[in-house]
Amino acid sequence: MLSREIDGLKLTFHLSGINNQNFLMRDEQTGTYWQQINGVAVSGPLAGKVLKLIPSDELTLALWKTEQPHGTVLKDVATYASKYSNRDWDVRMKKAPTVLSFAEHGLKPRDLMLGIQAFGVARAFPYEAVMQEKLIKDHVGPEGVILVVGPDDKSIRVFHTKSDFYRASENGSFFLMDSATGSKWNFQGCATEGSAKGACLERVEVIKDYWFDWLRSFVGAGYGALAADGFGESFAEGAGGVEHPAADCFFGRVGGEGERGEDGEKG
Amino acid sequence: MTEARKHLLSIAAVFAISLFFLAYPFYVIRPFRYQGPHELPVALAILHWRPGVEMVCAATAIVAGYLFWRTKSKLLAKIGVTIAVLVVCLFAGLSRVNIFEIMFHPMGRPSFEAANETKLDGAEMVMAVNLNGEARAYTIRSVSYHHIVNDEVGGVPIVATY
Repeated sequence: MLSREIDGLKLTFHLSGINNQNFLMRDEQTGTYWQQINGVAVSGPLAGKVLKLIPSDELTLALWKTEQPHGTVLKDVATYASKYSNRDWDVRMKKAPTVLSFAEHGLKPRDLMLGIQAFGVARAFPYEAVMQEKLIKDHVGPEGVILVVGPDDKSIRVFHTKSDFYRASENGSFFLMDSATGSKWNFQGCATEGSAKGACLERVEVIKDYWFDWLRSFVGAGYGALAADGFGESFAEGAGGVEHPAADCFFGRVGGEGERGEDGEKG
Repeated sequence: MTEARKHLLSIAAVFAISLFFLAYPFYVIRPFRYQGPHELPVALAILHWRPGVEMVCAATAIVAGYLFWRTKSKLLAKIGVTIAVLVVCLFAGLSRVNIFEIMFHPMGRPSFEAANETKLDGAEMVMAVNLNGEARAYTIRSVSYHHIVNDEVGGVPIVATY
């Protein structure tokens, strides 16, 4: 989700191409080409500009309706509805070939990742691992975060916190609980009961993307092929002389006592 | 060089130029093809200039073709030149076609319904935003086809993409 405003211009976008499996948009107003995943202008009068990322969620409609009962939903365009994807589109696309690969990181190109750019670093978490664990406590750079799977078992939100949280349910009602105060928190990150009632955790933006695309788009330099060799070297040499932003990749489950919780059980 | 030959060379030159400007971006910007860091900006630059270049090529071809017809060349040659001129004009027309929006039709002006009125299945995955108190959800099923929805939520112009 991106802003359409930049430098005082309100842009209207059209699908106009593809760059190593991520599509390009072209704006009507200036003819500039923009990369869809990260909003970077790759060619044209506004080349080098970056559209502002708009905070957004990916969740089930049912869950969204409970949180936003007065919201509005996009209607299908009847003429094209028969061409719309099945719901498992991103899962089926995992079988599609890719043109970029970063095999040295031990992940397949189309492994789904949860990519976070915050606190001065970029870090990606394997989507399947988070879905399996339901709640992961980890860090992005120097800051603690929790990745939480929602009550619909489909949505994931990330919150900025150093506290220990547990995912629980009572009488079919989902909530989070922090071990410090014993307060109950909802999936929007706000405390609803207990001494912390009224407080809300800071949301951290997360992007669900294929590994090859996230690595190329958010960690590599600009568009086109990431110099995989150069990237590999920076890891091996402990990031000495790295020109692009520091990157850190999470390859496995978070382990250790007290760092994961599922349904109220301390890991 | 005879006048006829000059016109033939002109037509051959604009044919080659218009073919290159039409074909190179199609060749580079394709799904499942690796795009190097140098060829993509070249292809995009060509795309940027293509409509104008193709119009100049078509105009040049038409003028050269007309002048060739006024020479004493054989009828077969004139027919061949006419076909070449028509092909250059066809290239000019094709250069304005956005193949990606033929494959994935643009959504156009999006329309919405209230959350409590929608008949959509609750299991649909949506992308959701909340701006200045206005909440909106976009079904991934539809946006993954149209790819782009130009919208405004809470007074903020946004583009939903997938």
